[in-house]
Amino acid sequence: MEKRPIKIKCFAGLRKFFGNETTVLVEPDSNYAKVIEALQLLNPEATEILSSCRIAVNEDFVQLSETIKQEDTLFLIPPSSGG
Amino acid sequence: MVGKTLKHMKHLQYTDISYSKIFDEFRHPNSGAVVLFSGEVRNNNKGREVTHLEYEAYEPMADKMIEEILVEAKSRFKLNQAECVHRLGKVEISGCAVVVVTGAGHRKEAYDANRYIIDKVKNEVPIWKHEFFADGTSEWGQNCDCVTNEHEHRHHHERNE
Repeated sequence: MEKRPIKIKCFAGLRKFFGNETTVLVEPDSNYAKVIEALQLLNPEATEILSSCRIAVNEDFVQLSETIKQEDTLFLIPPSSGG
Repeated sequence: MVGKTLKHMKHLQYTDISYSKIFDEFRHPNSGAVVLFSGEVRNNNKGREVTHLEYEAYEPMADKMIEEILVEAKSRFKLNQAECVHRLGKVEISGCAVVVVTGAGHRKEAYDANRYIIDKVKNEVPIWKHEFFADGTSEWGQNCDCVTNEHEHRHHHERNE
């Protein structure tokens, strides 16, 4: 099976590394952690911030150990700093 | 971005927060205690002079999460009312960045719930602070050093309040 592209929307401090959005290729049946790994390869300078990011799908956080479902867009959420 | 309107956003706004208006409208016959917290923009952080802040959010998710935090807090602390509004866009020094108002029968619940809500909003909701300094540089703020996916909080560090 071919790798499939997944679009990643980025916020705040992440844009310095990836712009507003970027695309990574992942194997079928990958988990969300594979997306983080692909982003680290894309820009190794982002490794530190990526280690504290979460991923949201349809406005809910997902566990990195979960298998990616059919969605083609993920939201990469850096640590909160509101207030 | 100032003046941009957010459709269906109850808890986020690009315009000034009028906490006196929220407070005045916050009356409930069962409430003997109303607590209002206003998080305001300081002119300094970690020894550096701050000129202003800009806030960004993953808007639909942040709005939804604040609503969920309020619903949960109302049940947990037996509140009669709870509200939270967070600014987006540019906020000047002494401007209100976030307001939390809680109303309960007695002050303990109102205080405890208010602290609970602001802590959760700061630590968990996808809102980000961009600090601008007097020397012309800027940085994205970090309230939280959490690294686990489950995001269980272990805050030993000083937070910016």
